[in-house]
Amino acid sequence: MKSSNKVDLSIDFCGVKFNNPFLLSSSPVSNSAEMVEKAYEAGWSGVVFKTLNSDRIPIIHPSPRMNSYHYGHKRLVGLQNVEQISDRPLKDNLIDFLYLKKKYPDRILISSIMGFSNSEWEYLAKVSEDNGADMLELNFSCPHMCVEGTGHHVGKAFDLIEKFTTTVKNAVSIPVLAKMTPNITDMTEPALYAKRGGADGIAAINTVSGISEVGLNDLVPKPNIFGIGAISGTSGPAIKPIGLRFIAEMAQCEELNLPLSGIGGIETWIDALEYILLGSETIQVTTGIIHYGYRIVEDMIEGLSDFMLEKGINSVAELVGKANANLKTTDHFELDRQGITQYNLDECVGCGQCVIVCNDSAGQALDWDETTRRPSLIEDKCLSCMVCSFICPVEGLITYKEMPTDWNRHETKIMDHSLEKELKLEPFKELTNL
Amino acid sequence: MRNFDAFKTMKKGFDLSQAIAEADRCLLCHDAPCSKGCPADTEPGAFIRKLHLKNITGAIRTIKENNILGGACGVLCPTERLCEKECSAMLKSKNMPTGQDRAIRIGDIQRFLVEYSWDRGFQVLKRPAQKGPKVAVVGSGPGGLSCAAELAQAGFRVTVFEARPEPGGVLRYGVASYRFDESFLKKELADVEMLGVEFKCSHPIEGEKGAEKLLENGFDAVFLAPGLWKAAQLNPGQAEIKGLFSSVDYLSSLRDGRLEQTASQIEGKTVAVIGGGAVAMDCIETAAKLGAKDVYLVYRRSYLQMPAEEPEIQAALEAGVHFLLLNQPLDYLTTSDNQISGIKTIRTRLGEPDDSGRRAPTEIPGSEWNLDADVVIEAIGNQAEDRSPEWYPGVETNAKKLIKVNGETGETSAKGIFAGGDIVRGPSLVVNAVRDGKVAAQAIQQYLNKEEER
Repeated sequence: MKSSNKVDLSIDFCGVKFNNPFLLSSSPVSNSAEMVEKAYEAGWSGVVFKTLNSDRIPIIHPSPRMNSYHYGHKRLVGLQNVEQISDRPLKDNLIDFLYLKKKYPDRILISSIMGFSNSEWEYLAKVSEDNGADMLELNFSCPHMCVEGTGHHVGKAFDLIEKFTTTVKNAVSIPVLAKMTPNITDMTEPALYAKRGGADGIAAINTVSGISEVGLNDLVPKPNIFGIGAISGTSGPAIKPIGLRFIAEMAQCEELNLPLSGIGGIETWIDALEYILLGSETIQVTTGIIHYGYRIVEDMIEGLSDFMLEKGINSVAELVGKANANLKTTDHFELDRQGITQYNLDECVGCGQCVIVCNDSAGQALDWDETTRRPSLIEDKCLSCMVCSFICPVEGLITYKEMPTDWNRHETKIMDHSLEKELKLEPFKELTNL
Repeated sequence: MRNFDAFKTMKKGFDLSQAIAEADRCLLCHDAPCSKGCPADTEPGAFIRKLHLKNITGAIRTIKENNILGGACGVLCPTERLCEKECSAMLKSKNMPTGQDRAIRIGDIQRFLVEYSWDRGFQVLKRPAQKGPKVAVVGSGPGGLSCAAELAQAGFRVTVFEARPEPGGVLRYGVASYRFDESFLKKELADVEMLGVEFKCSHPIEGEKGAEKLLENGFDAVFLAPGLWKAAQLNPGQAEIKGLFSSVDYLSSLRDGRLEQTASQIEGKTVAVIGGGAVAMDCIETAAKLGAKDVYLVYRRSYLQMPAEEPEIQAALEAGVHFLLLNQPLDYLTTSDNQISGIKTIRTRLGEPDDSGRRAPTEIPGSEWNLDADVVIEAIGNQAEDRSPEWYPGVETNAKKLIKVNGETGETSAKGIFAGGDIVRGPSLVVNAVRDGKVAAQAIQQYLNKEEER
């Protein structure tokens, strides 16, 4: 292989060296050594193995177990699944651990575990460490566990997070990640419980509880498991904004200050880089692989390398959390600075979608010439919402332009001023003396 | 016996996912230019938007309500110079993140939606109570069918008179079946029949005042859309020669039960077709597909002057025919037993444009040569039957025996008689005949409503 863009993508995460920040997440794509081996060959630096169980209760996956969320002809914009933790015997999984560590000593094997009791957490942690796992990921977030005290029920009962993390930390010496559920309002709080329990890092997000589709003929939400649907885990590009938000919030939480592994809708190097810029040191992928296969890591490696070369960045660590300084609450905006859209019609194709959206969802700031099929902007009516630029088929035709501070936007039209005399209205006064 | 299945059936069209993918490429234009490009007002801008928004039944309804022959038009229209011509997606910048810079395949989407309605048994149009006035439609081609369907939906009692044994006109007897097949045509016809339209086949309306007598025999109005079925000849009044066909007879023979007989005359032979229009392209392509050894197209002008559509020309070239451009046929060569043996031809060069706006050919003196051929097909245009004006003497016709009408209404000079399609326009498109049928149906309704008020 030629290496015109050879860049060192390695990163230290929780004291463990990864060749690159790209990992398989704990899921169907990391179900066996046979699969993980292919992933390693494709270039993934590590794996979070499919969550182990201790053979105490049989694990049977529902059938069928997944459903695709399509958008138009675009497939797999989201994925819903009702899969359970590993259905393989613990022994088989651990033999696979030994195989992978023996054959790929430089790749990082993270064992995902989920106990049904304190002692089971301890047991699974120990056997993982004893059979070569480099790290542990505590699955506090599997959305398909109905038993109280398991899966996402733990992720929502914060004292259990602390308790189980403490147990695991006392049992092993390898680093421990806590994997969080996004099906809560604030992730920093459970993450802090995990920290108190001794967690070395946080992985987030697990799947978002959702319903991807309802069967219109049988009235069964999908996936349809013989007449029954269930609210279950949604993943894929559709949930990326949610994942980025939780990662950024945890990265900005000074009290937490733990390394993060970002998960949620990552398919390309750009998705991965966004997670890194908002605070992730590693990223994990499943749905992107379900859609395209392990090969996508080649494009992640190449894309991130070229980006770093172009920007003169020497290590991934330099990028971690770099966008967070610019991420603030909305009260920080400079509201006296305003602007409008500007149109470069040289490449306009005359579809007129901008006219429709501006009329129906914005400032009615566009006129339409039927003969030439071109829009023209009434500048002082433009709200700078930019929706026209989102639906314009020509990239870069509609751009943003800041206006001078003395520029004023036209007030929104009142349909009939004569109705003012019928108006029943007193100005609002705060009631101060209750 | 040869297997003619591929010759007799159309290639499969889009499936649902292909249609949705194509509709997803549509920019859903404001003031949709594609809709303005359809002579029959089929409203592609509306039905593609409906498909895009998963309103598939609504999309089918838009097509069927606007154009009863939406399926046929989807298959046969030269969309690249109608609805697809102004498609904004074709102009999309190279920066566009999705899709190629080509027009949305509107015809293919339209065909899909109509076929989907058949597959799913989704009947869009309802048969109204038929108690209105009686209208006779002469000809069951696209013009007649469109007019009949429109009137039947308005509750009129419509009878379609067809001279040939089966309905469809040019859709059956004037087009190769691999372009538009029997099964597709039958479904289109069933949709018209379902509306309550009555068909009387093998029932030519001819003879002295044949058309006008319909008004005396209980019909309140007549729509004339018989089409043009007389083939123009290189030598008018040409005596019969074995192996010399008219395009009308040749193409009909592929559909009226004579396919195997014609195929046996073509297979392994050298075939020459005279002409440069859509019909000529159908003739050469079918001859090549039926196994002719060599197929020559003999055309007196050059490539750019051909009236045929580019895709038709390309399809013919891909079938392996030879274009002999700038060659004017002069006469036929025959053997002693009156069997054709070739065409006497002279080379031409192009001069100044003629009335048609195309550069006219002038013969190069002394350049005569003979093209050997076992079969010759004349495809140099269709005309009205010589005696057709006698069938409707009250109706004004022009020098070419084409019927004169008010273009806005299809009204002829005879009260209660309307006309449309090729008998008015000369050789034209299916979609234009559909338009004429619709327009005339509206005018007939207005005319009969007024008559009732009196």
